[in-house]
Amino acid sequence: MKIESHLDKFHRLDDARQRLDPVQDCELWIWTCMNAGVHLLNAALHRIGATEATDSFHTQVEGLYVRPDRISGQLIDAVHPPGDVMHFGQPPIAAPLPDEVRQAGAALRVIEDMREPYVRGDATPSREAIAAAEAAYRDCVRLLGSVLATAL
Amino acid sequence: MNPATHRAKAQRIERSIAALDPTQFEAVIEGTMLAGTHWFNLVLHRAAILPDRNDAMHAEFLPLGTRRRVRVLLGEVLAAMDRIEALRTTHVRGDMPDGTGAAREALHALAVLRQHALREDRNGLA
Repeated sequence: MKIESHLDKFHRLDDARQRLDPVQDCELWIWTCMNAGVHLLNAALHRIGATEATDSFHTQVEGLYVRPDRISGQLIDAVHPPGDVMHFGQPPIAAPLPDEVRQAGAALRVIEDMREPYVRGDATPSREAIAAAEAAYRDCVRLLGSVLATAL
Repeated sequence: MNPATHRAKAQRIERSIAALDPTQFEAVIEGTMLAGTHWFNLVLHRAAILPDRNDAMHAEFLPLGTRRRVRVLLGEVLAAMDRIEALRTTHVRGDMPDGTGAAREALHALAVLRQHALREDRNGLA
């Protein structure tokens, strides 16, 4: 997707995140942090030229995209180099990445690792786990924000 | 995960979705996927298609034979789950127009899943 679309989505998701309570709404809060972070990551990767701002959407299958026909609205399956990533490292990126992006990817991983126990599973996150996710999200936004600002 | 826990998780996530506006469509659609997947698993467990210890993560990735059985036995449930997943591609990971309409469509699909799941749950408890 285009950088502007990723940034629009990041802002909408970040607004939604702020409406959710990290404890009472932990499932959707965790998921929304992750999605917001991934859109910002894609914007940053496109901006530094590590991935292409192709007019295609990542599907649930790693490395499989759909290209929209903007007139008919039809979607056509496509396999091409990234492109948008679904998660950091999925699909892998061949280009060398600056430290800020790699650190942001590690921060995103902290949030992604909460999906299995707290979203798909029935564990309740501790206050410490929520605090770690909040810190990881802030780090992710700060690091990727600096990449986007530097490359502007 | 057992059906009672799936039900509790689905209802909890639905309360979270209610805090959002349909214009926040990416988060709404993702919420319908999360809650819908718990309803979907509840149905699969109650219908003895999958055991409690084996949850489906995405309907698309069910083994082919299992997916065919679900399509025959629970076609409307599978169609609702597939619709939500398709909207994720076009409106969460993609930027197709009318995100708010897509969120409303996802909420409708979630209602279909909820309705079937609660009916299966009552039948399972009877």
